[in-house]
Amino acid sequence: MRTIILVFSVLLAAVPGSAFAHAMLDHAEPRVGSTVSPAPKEMVLWFTQQLEPAFSSIEVRNEQGATVTAGNAAVVGDRTQLRVRLKALLPGTYKVIWRVLSVDTHRTEGNFTFHVRQ
Amino acid sequence: MFKNSWPLAMLAAGFAASTTLAHAHEIVGNRFFPATLAIDDPGVNDELALPTISVSKTGDDPSFKQLDVSAEFSKRITEDFAVSFAPTWSRLYAPGGPVMNGARGFQNLETTFKYRLFKNAEHEFIMSVGLEIEWGGSGAQDVGAESFTVYTPTIYFGKGFGDLPSSMDWARPFAITGQVGYAIPGVSQTSVASIDPDTGEQDIDTEFHPRVLNWGATLQYSMPYLKSAVVDLGLPDIVNRLIPIVEASMQTPVSNTATSGTVTTGTINPGVIYVGNTYQFAVEAMIPVNRQSGTSVGVIGQLHFFLDDIFPTSIGRPIFGNGIASGRPIFGR
Repeated sequence: MRTIILVFSVLLAAVPGSAFAHAMLDHAEPRVGSTVSPAPKEMVLWFTQQLEPAFSSIEVRNEQGATVTAGNAAVVGDRTQLRVRLKALLPGTYKVIWRVLSVDTHRTEGNFTFHVRQ
Repeated sequence: MFKNSWPLAMLAAGFAASTTLAHAHEIVGNRFFPATLAIDDPGVNDELALPTISVSKTGDDPSFKQLDVSAEFSKRITEDFAVSFAPTWSRLYAPGGPVMNGARGFQNLETTFKYRLFKNAEHEFIMSVGLEIEWGGSGAQDVGAESFTVYTPTIYFGKGFGDLPSSMDWARPFAITGQVGYAIPGVSQTSVASIDPDTGEQDIDTEFHPRVLNWGATLQYSMPYLKSAVVDLGLPDIVNRLIPIVEASMQTPVSNTATSGTVTTGTINPGVIYVGNTYQFAVEAMIPVNRQSGTSVGVIGQLHFFLDDIFPTSIGRPIFGNGIASGRPIFGR
């Protein structure tokens, strides 16, 4: 059993860092599934890898399906953040749809909702 | 008694080896389908499972402990088509082996050709088809490796429940995967001649090699999915990387069963998978479904590397195809 644990430990230690991998959503502000007040003025997503700005986007839609973003999303910080400004949001549920390309050319996408209360 | 059960032991060992090797991982929309241990999942990717180690007590009479150490290397030829190679080394402890004093050696080499047929991000659904080939005579007969080749055409699928209505948010991190394969031995029977020591007459023992339905499924609850697509509860990172899972892997002989019988064997495997950025680690218990499947709870562990993430510009990309790593199957999206 010790040998087995040793083998697993050595192999784990040999795993390269996360410099290259699929860009997955790490966290967001407003948080995934959260209810916030007052309404946020921007949406920021943090990813597990660096992004290619030209192929990374955020869409935010209200309950009627209308887009409520103001302008295009921008990759900021250490290239792991994707940020977009929002129009004035009324109380309700909003769907965030993101599509990104990591610097190692892996494409990922996802969506989640958040809520704005009175 | 043991002599009579040895062919059955070899049969069981062969099919057990053939159903615990192949693994893949896959991303479909919001959903990450991890590599699974007991059955193959529907993913097509560049990856390396090294090692997979299992310890169990067989369903033979008498039962004996078996240790399996295996590896699998999967390489994409195109974006949707991959070939994998999976050797397994086995050690049978006494009273296992042909003369009941244990045995060790390689099982037959297994090769799997798999094609991703359909992928739908919105409904987190994926389906693949494959052909698994266990190359007869490439392993040691002492540990149950057969002298003939076995062909297993297989269908794989995965479905995440992220498309459930918001009133069922709690269930959206659930996903299921499954596979159904039909193992076809290259020969239908083998005969062994021996001399009866009492009468001096020649005996011929014939063993029929059944066609076997290999079927199984997994039920998984993805904490990464919960955090990134449903609700971020602010849990510790290590918890947000876990996927609790239950796997079931079954084998049912369905034809040519004169000497094998028709009893379904298999295990139910509850466990957990930890998902890193470039690897995953999994450990599961192996609970036999009946006496013929084993005599005590075994354990299986696996370290699995995502080569497409570790080496995205070299061995982690398809040999043919464009450089953008996104599945483009012939149907769906």
